[in-house]
Amino acid sequence: MSLNEEEFLKRLLATFVIEADEHLSAITSGLIELEKSPPADKQATIIETAFREAHSMKGAARAVNLMDVESMCQPFENIFSALKRQQLDISPALIDVLFDALDVIASVIHTPEGVEPVQISQVIKALKQAETGQFESKEPPSMAIVDDAPQAQAKQTLSPPEPQSAESTEKEPKPDSGVEPVPEPVDSEIKAPQESKTPPKKIEAKKQKPVTEIEKPVAAETIRISTAKLDSLLLEIEEMLAAKLVTHQRAIELQEIVVMLDLWQKEWRKIFPEVRKIRQLIDENGTGTGTSRAIGKLLNFVDLNRTQAELIAARLKKTAKSTEQDRRMVGGMVDNLLEDMKGALMMPFSSLLEIFPKMVRDLSRSVGKQADFVSEGGETEIDRRILEEMKDPLIHLIRNCIDHGLEEPSERENSRKPQRGTIKIDVFQKVSGKVRVTVSDDGAGININRVKEAAIKHGIVSKSEADALDPQEAMSLIFRSSVSTNPIVTEISGRGLGLAIVREKVERLCGEISITSVPGTGTSFQIILPATLATFRGILIQVANRIAVVRTLSVAQALRVKLDEIKTVENKETVLINGQVIPIVWLSDVLELPRSTGSNGSKSVMPVLVLHLSGEQMAFVVDRILGEQEVLVKSLGKQLIRVRNVAGATILGSGQVVPILNVSDLLKSAVRIHPGQAARPVVDKKSLTETKSVLVAEDSITSRMLLKNVLEAAGYNVKTCVDGIDALTALKTEKYDLIVSDIEMPRMNGFELTVQVRADQNLADIPVVLVTSLSSREDQEKGIDAGADAYIVKSSFDQTNLLEIIEGLV
Amino acid sequence: MEDETTIDWEQIHRRLKAVETAIGREFIPTEQNKKEILRTRAEQLAREDGREPTAEETLEVIEFCLATETYALEMAYVQEVYSLKEITPLPCVPSFVKGIVNVRGQIFSVIDLKEFFALPTEELAALNKVIIMHTDDMEFGILVDNIIGGRSVPRKAIQPAPSTLTGVQGKYAKGVTSERLIILDAAKILTDRRMIVNENVGG
Repeated sequence: MSLNEEEFLKRLLATFVIEADEHLSAITSGLIELEKSPPADKQATIIETAFREAHSMKGAARAVNLMDVESMCQPFENIFSALKRQQLDISPALIDVLFDALDVIASVIHTPEGVEPVQISQVIKALKQAETGQFESKEPPSMAIVDDAPQAQAKQTLSPPEPQSAESTEKEPKPDSGVEPVPEPVDSEIKAPQESKTPPKKIEAKKQKPVTEIEKPVAAETIRISTAKLDSLLLEIEEMLAAKLVTHQRAIELQEIVVMLDLWQKEWRKIFPEVRKIRQLIDENGTGTGTSRAIGKLLNFVDLNRTQAELIAARLKKTAKSTEQDRRMVGGMVDNLLEDMKGALMMPFSSLLEIFPKMVRDLSRSVGKQADFVSEGGETEIDRRILEEMKDPLIHLIRNCIDHGLEEPSERENSRKPQRGTIKIDVFQKVSGKVRVTVSDDGAGININRVKEAAIKHGIVSKSEADALDPQEAMSLIFRSSVSTNPIVTEISGRGLGLAIVREKVERLCGEISITSVPGTGTSFQIILPATLATFRGILIQVANRIAVVRTLSVAQALRVKLDEIKTVENKETVLINGQVIPIVWLSDVLELPRSTGSNGSKSVMPVLVLHLSGEQMAFVVDRILGEQEVLVKSLGKQLIRVRNVAGATILGSGQVVPILNVSDLLKSAVRIHPGQAARPVVDKKSLTETKSVLVAEDSITSRMLLKNVLEAAGYNVKTCVDGIDALTALKTEKYDLIVSDIEMPRMNGFELTVQVRADQNLADIPVVLVTSLSSREDQEKGIDAGADAYIVKSSFDQTNLLEIIEGLV
Repeated sequence: MEDETTIDWEQIHRRLKAVETAIGREFIPTEQNKKEILRTRAEQLAREDGREPTAEETLEVIEFCLATETYALEMAYVQEVYSLKEITPLPCVPSFVKGIVNVRGQIFSVIDLKEFFALPTEELAALNKVIIMHTDDMEFGILVDNIIGGRSVPRKAIQPAPSTLTGVQGKYAKGVTSERLIILDAAKILTDRRMIVNENVGG
């Protein structure tokens, strides 16, 4: 904690320097104006402004414990106050004194070690005298005071501060990467006073009232300039992603043509002996007859065709190869660029947390409570846009904690808690690019029964449903609100009024929010956010003959469900997945689209996506699951501000525009629709007479699990192994009906495995399906030559396809 | 190839003479002639000067076909014309929203004015062009059958929409020209609140 505080104070001080510079320059320009003896009304405005600036600076200085600055600001402010009340007249001498004081203040702020204490006291003295109009009566012309100590002092400092301040202002706006919201005070001179003078006050300093001005705009403003540039840069780089996807698409198309040509060549090789035979026949019989002449010509043409086609094939292969290289190169470059750009958009969470200590102090005080704010993990970096979006939700949660979480001091004492409550924000960088933010209080906690009562009262759940909920589920009711006019919140002591909004905001950022509360001990909101926004992984699905994208983050599971596994519970269709009863709906119904005939007919197994968000889960039947890819979100344009169930659109590598589904909406919409029970076709139970067993060889655990899942769902017995050797061993110990193998594997690859299987008399008959990635097309060929029965290209990997192929083979 | 019809040389000479004098006279106009010509010219010039089509007097429009009618939209609101290759339909949108298109990386929604105007839509239409319209805070494409081209219409020639243009269609018509070209009020269409889709689930 002390490290955090030190960090914090360092930043605070840096912020103060920026702010103080602004005040100083405002006062300076004011003084310059005053020197020109402006008309009275204008003069009054200038004095008023300067007064406020001086006052703010004084407060700010006090907040960071710069006593010297504060003590100089006080008489400075007094002078303006006197000017305001017209108890003092503006004179050149007065302005000189003020300018000198400004110089010393600037020096103290920027290079405190270069300022003698005596200078400060002299400035104070001069200011105090000026305030009483003393010097005025003494010697109005400023030249006379030249020999006077403070003036001499000021003359000394007059020249040095110039370069110094120029230097330090240069330092401030460009902290290391240019993204840092709050410039790191690198200067040791800034650290110095803080270390020597602040220990007793520590974070308390932050809570002093005048700090307000420091906190909000200054730091943000320094970045705001570069942000615009960053944003347009990001947009341009995001466009590069389209270039990458297009190159990828071209490479795939070319490979497909190459494969087509390969097939043609194989056919040609088969037919070639026949052609030769015919030619021999023609040659033997002579070209006397018209028919044989015609055949001769035809044969010549066939030969020409062949050479032409082979020429084309050769060139095409070359082009395909270089396109593949281009793709890799472009892909790598774009990825790096985007990655760097995302990095540049990252900001430490602390830049947002800084506003909270004061907020907590002020808010709690206003409701007669006492609270401290502590935070951890402020150094965790997160996409700036997410941070900006999270500001309001976090403020809201903290407000909630203070308003409804914390008890009155007396009540706390009764329950043997420290009088001062604690509000804590804990930021934690999780793996897989997610950030967990926990907002907690040590207050009274939430009474679940009251949440339930309110939810029942508003018809969100029925009594029996509420009773069936586990505490976690019941607690998450707090995020629900029926139509905005009637939030359940008001009933349960206000908590939750904005919680639905908070949840919506978090979910829009692809995050999740959950709540835990222990009565008497406190409440804790847990928010999981993605660390970056720019792109995300999306799963491409087909529904009602359209393609759509769902964020991978929201997909708990992709699996296949048999129609007869769907059971109706309380008028809702549900399915049992991993021992959990999950409601199931047809995505086409939710999207108000007709169910495609495929998913309605006799097909007994349907692809299903289990979507989850903030603890809720629901299974959606889709037509097909097409694959996963990187997706860049685009808005739907100005006319479509918000479309139900659609979050945006993206452009596929093929140039096709595809909608991105809004999972939060889908879950809500799904609850609203009541699918007609008749819509479900009668199941004709396909009896699997005997269970076939499949051996899966795949080194990637993800692919392995996916294959296992798909095959098992289709009713196969599945055994998995990690490479070819492993597979061969398995094959010798048990009997399998089919082998599904990856090509690239350690120790023994799929190609070698196929050869080994074919060479073994006992195994030679087992069908082998190779699952391969496009980039290893040579391997594909080799695999086929080695005797594999089928190969499935991963990029067009599709469960239906795989299952159909397997069905055809066993 | 001599035949009985003899040439009347005398008559020919007479005619030539007349022509010659006529030509000669034209080349040497009398003072009065000159004045006459100059005056009429000056008159013409003066009149035409006043009629010179200025930006205020004419309306630059883009003319297009929609179903059987010809419509025009003010060019000032047209960003570009886009040849429709592929349109992605969206679920859960009003029927006048036909879908979205990708124009150089930016997504535009495309609406069908016929649906929006509640016109009969039975006619088989080509609908292969999109006119992308914009104002400062709104932009979308409208689906049209064919683009006829750009032209300028004198404002004077625009008459208020006839009473036969009733309903929604009439409401959005800026006027009709003598050739029965319906000029739509682009600004009105672009700023119509009903055009905006902003729906929450259950909202």
